Amino acid sequence: MTAELQPRRIFWQILLLSAGLLVLTVISAGSVYLVNKARDDSKWVVHTIETENQINALLLEIRRAESSARGFLLTGGPDFQSDHEKAVAAIVPALDKLTRQIGDNPAQRENIEKLSAAIETRLDQFSREMNFIKQNEPDQAKALVREAAAGDTTTTISNLANAMIREEERLFRIRSENSDRSQTLSASMTGIGSGFVVLLALISIWLVRRSSLARDEAEARLRDTNVNLEAVVDERTADLREANDEIQRFAYIVSHDLRSPLVNIMGFTSELEELGGDIFRRIGSLTHVSADGPSLVPGAPGEIALEDADQQLSADFSEALGFIKSSIAKMDRLISAILNLTREGRREFQPEKIKTRAFVEAIVSTVAHQAVEAQAEIHVEALPDIVSDRLALEQIFSNLIDNAIKYLKSGVAGEIRIRGRTKLGYAIFEISDNGRGIDPKDHQRIFELFRRAGTQDKPGQGIGLAHVRALVRRLGGTMSVSSELNAGSTFTITLPITWNASNRNADK
Amino acid sequence: MTQPVSIIMIEDDEGHARLIERNIRRSGVNNEIISFANGTDAMKHLFGADGSGIAQKGNALLILLDLNLPDMSGIDILKQIKENKYLKASPVVVLTTTDDSQEIKRCYELGCNVYITKPVNYENFANAIRQLGLFFSVIQVPPAAP
Repeated sequence: MTAELQPRRIFWQILLLSAGLLVLTVISAGSVYLVNKARDDSKWVVHTIETENQINALLLEIRRAESSARGFLLTGGPDFQSDHEKAVAAIVPALDKLTRQIGDNPAQRENIEKLSAAIETRLDQFSREMNFIKQNEPDQAKALVREAAAGDTTTTISNLANAMIREEERLFRIRSENSDRSQTLSASMTGIGSGFVVLLALISIWLVRRSSLARDEAEARLRDTNVNLEAVVDERTADLREANDEIQRFAYIVSHDLRSPLVNIMGFTSELEELGGDIFRRIGSLTHVSADGPSLVPGAPGEIALEDADQQLSADFSEALGFIKSSIAKMDRLISAILNLTREGRREFQPEKIKTRAFVEAIVSTVAHQAVEAQAEIHVEALPDIVSDRLALEQIFSNLIDNAIKYLKSGVAGEIRIRGRTKLGYAIFEISDNGRGIDPKDHQRIFELFRRAGTQDKPGQGIGLAHVRALVRRLGGTMSVSSELNAGSTFTITLPITWNASNRNADK
Repeated sequence: MTQPVSIIMIEDDEGHARLIERNIRRSGVNNEIISFANGTDAMKHLFGADGSGIAQKGNALLILLDLNLPDMSGIDILKQIKENKYLKASPVVVLTTTDDSQEIKRCYELGCNVYITKPVNYENFANAIRQLGLFFSVIQVPPAAP
């Protein structure tokens, strides 16, 4: 997956998540609201039914009062009287209850006022009827009953009650519808919301699937690339190894073949020198013969003095030969150095456990007399033991210690210190001195072959450090210098604590 | 009765050959020196046309051998000489520019009798050759296998 796709995918995931959350919140809030509304609506429906019931109950009580009053009139039985009194007593509370129940509805309030008035009239009639009966004036009572039956009080009551019931029925219908609607709404809202959530979940799953597919693909590609990379690295390493071997062989052959003609040059230069000596002696003897008579005995040359001009020639001749010979000697040293370096480069390392401190002390003891001559003290501190090539390590340390002794400041007591520590699988050795130091601009130069720095008052080819660095590198380490002019130098070598033959020996 | 010893010099560099010869002569050795500038000619001379080495049967030889020859490796020549029943008794002096300890060891293992590095320092070289000459004058070279 590419870098710019990543944030976009994350953005979409977050968007989906928040959309899901939003939908859920809306559904919950909506559901709570709608459920409340439905409950409310139901309550109203129940209220309506109750009101209706109450109206019917009131009517029933009135009818009961009426019929018991008639019964009492006809039979004069006390049962009917008590029944009537109970019914009448129930009417007023029932009416009160009804009034309370429909207090919220102005239309019904008007009806109930009228109803109350009618009921009051009727109750009044009832009490009068009962009084007539009790006073044993049944005719009066009968007349009253008839009057009442003919009168519109009862009709009014039933009409009003019916009107009220109709009103309540109307309300019931409306409220049921409302209740139904809110319940349907709640159900559909939950349904739609759930649908949304499922949809979002599906989209999310699809996105996750897509991204995991992309990741799998990327992983596969990465694996391929890694495998390729390893192959490429192996290939390059092989190439480099080959190139390195080629250079080593080249250096070896070149230096070797250069030496052969050098032997001739040197040999015949020496022959020439001898020849020159012979020639000049002969010239001398010839000039003496011509000047002084008899020739000298051959085999006793040397004592013949040459004439000034001839002497000059002889000196020039010797001088020229001297330059040739010193140049040859120098060239030979360089060639030998290259040969030694290439030989070192071709040598196989034999890793072994080295007690570094004892090992370095042994090296120090071999240079003890030089140290005494230079008035230098060498301190070897505790050093970590390592597994490495003994010979290579010996060359590294002896070169650095030699250098430290060689380049001390004249007139100052030398102090050379060899310290060691370990860090992350590497042993770090420091060889520090209080010698003449190295100008920072020469820090790279001193590691180059045939290059030297500072005052050239000591013999040397400029090979030691190049050689040391090559060895340290072959041992899988690094080396550096920190130094200031006239302030001593510290050479730091970092070597793996355990030199693994497989990491470098493969090139041989 | 001992035959005069022939010195066989196998050296491709004429200059070296000349220097060696001169120094041998200077040391007073007057034996016959037969020079070869390449391995093939030297092999032909040593082993004869049939390659058996019978041609040299009974001849006392001393072989000076350079390891770097244009046509073949001196090591091969050394090996063949030391494997040949007529020649194996002849002393072989390896004279070469290589001072590689591995190579020196190898030569001795193959039966070389003396190994001399040609130093560029001529004095040393001349000395070595003269001493070799001295060595030649006292050495008893056995007649090759009967």
